Amino acid sequence: MLFNKMQSSDPLVIADKIFTSRLFTGTGKFNDQQTMIAALEASQSELVTMALKRIDMEHKDDDILAPLIKNGMNLLPNTSGARNAKEAIFAAQLAREALQTNWIKLEIHPDPKYLLPDPIETLKAAEFLARDGFVVLPYVHADPVLCKHLEAAGCAAVMPLGAPIGSNKGLKTIDFLQIIIEQANIPVIVDAGIGSPSHAALAMELGADAVLVNTAMAVAGDPVLMSEAFAKAVQAGRQAYLAGLAGQVSHAVASSPLTAFLQAG
Amino acid sequence: MNIFVNEQVLTIPVDCNIEQLLLLLESPLKGSAVAVNQHIISRSKWAEYTLNEGDQISLFQAIAGG
Repeated sequence: MLFNKMQSSDPLVIADKIFTSRLFTGTGKFNDQQTMIAALEASQSELVTMALKRIDMEHKDDDILAPLIKNGMNLLPNTSGARNAKEAIFAAQLAREALQTNWIKLEIHPDPKYLLPDPIETLKAAEFLARDGFVVLPYVHADPVLCKHLEAAGCAAVMPLGAPIGSNKGLKTIDFLQIIIEQANIPVIVDAGIGSPSHAALAMELGADAVLVNTAMAVAGDPVLMSEAFAKAVQAGRQAYLAGLAGQVSHAVASSPLTAFLQAG
Repeated sequence: MNIFVNEQVLTIPVDCNIEQLLLLLESPLKGSAVAVNQHIISRSKWAEYTLNEGDQISLFQAIAGG
């Protein structure tokens, strides 16, 4: 009840949309569509990512879209597979046609081993797409300077990584995420590397505006239960941030009054 | 006449438009995007865009992804 009250009075606004949940989710790697839908429902997420693929005429993929639209999800197509700005722009324009949305998660990772985003191509593509009327959410390194450039280019938010995609290693970039959050005038969504609810809670405690989680939910032993755990962690982390965390000191500070009564008598 | 859909040869009736092609392929209209000879064709133009012999069609579909 408290959470619900907090959520409704603490909305996240990105471009023209208002979100009550600060947990964004991916749709990849789930065993089956039924599990995916149940997990997304448990996560209370209102924004889900998806990809676009050249259809294999021999082996057609399931229609993933219908159940997501039925559940009232906002769709965030990505440009996954693009290796440079030109390919990403083409992918974004295709996604706009396919999904009838101008929202795009811009991701350009030419190296298949680490899937690390190419900052130069990403900035080039972001500048073009923002001018072309897209709501651009770029996936980037936790690079504070780059994030400011992307903000100036007209991006609607930035999505710095915690660790490589699917690695579940957590916030390895924490010091730089803090600088990004401190400096940003647009929402900061921590993406990639979040492997457990505690990682998500930490990102929110730092003041991230939202997190994006996929692998950690999709490949969990029980994806639906894990998605519920993530929802709680994101709410708790956000609530802690709003409450203002107590500062750290290197020495003990007593929580109980230090009286002399144990030694007395 | 013959066209190419994602690099595969396909024989279709003359005067076939994009919307008819997707129906022929049993591809969902929602969630699909089409480029003809590398130019993206907006959904609103599908019914009026008549395909020509030898056209290279790229057909894309939304799939699961993070």
